[in-house]
Amino acid sequence: MALDASAFVTELDSHRRYLLRVARLQLRDPDLAEDVVQDTMLAALKARDGYSGASTVKTWVTGILKHKIVDAIRARQRAPVALTELDEDADIDEFDGLFKANGAWADKPAEWGDPEASLSRQQFFEVLEMCLDNLPPKTARVFVMREVMELATEEVCKELAITPNNLWVILYRARMALRLCLEKSWFKGPAAA
Amino acid sequence: MWHRLTHVISCKEASRLLSQAQDRRLGWLERLKLRAHLALCDFCSRFDDQLRFMREAMRRLGD
Repeated sequence: MALDASAFVTELDSHRRYLLRVARLQLRDPDLAEDVVQDTMLAALKARDGYSGASTVKTWVTGILKHKIVDAIRARQRAPVALTELDEDADIDEFDGLFKANGAWADKPAEWGDPEASLSRQQFFEVLEMCLDNLPPKTARVFVMREVMELATEEVCKELAITPNNLWVILYRARMALRLCLEKSWFKGPAAA
Repeated sequence: MWHRLTHVISCKEASRLLSQAQDRRLGWLERLKLRAHLALCDFCSRFDDQLRFMREAMRRLGD
């Protein structure tokens, strides 16, 4: 797909603020985030001929950003984040309401059907992003680090200076909240079949 | 009665183990208890499917 160079630059530029937001959230260092986004833009321009149009430009360039963020996280030497920054509001028991006193589900998980039926729809990913935006920011950051950046447990723990147990509690919270939101907004939502 | 059959571990404990299974290898006893529970609990089996679905959805978000 041969895109006009200046049109492509304009298109890329329109996603800059989004990319910066993602980079800042993950890297917690505005200057580094700025550098990483710059690198991403340059890489995207160089790779322009390789853009097939199979996904949107935004998705494509976000993929490049993801790799740049992972590289930056792995490469940098810095003092660990203070533990207090990760003392999130509630603790694991906030999800006690989802279970009865005897430990059974209060609200039974619904059937979500064929995965591809959802994963093949752009609208689903819009709902997913909305649900991620609804997560507490620190929880979201950790969850994205693990699930989107696909960093291993040890890497996330090292980056954030938390124990594996801390991490698993945070991820559990994220997953429980995310599944509730998806169930409400997508699988049982107004658009549900 | 249903609860008694699945009460090797509760759904709440199973949900925690299933989540952790996404990030670490469970110990043999944990796996045993979890499998015993899943064999009899459709809801937790569904939850396991949902965890896998969310993982795949997140992975594609980053592609």
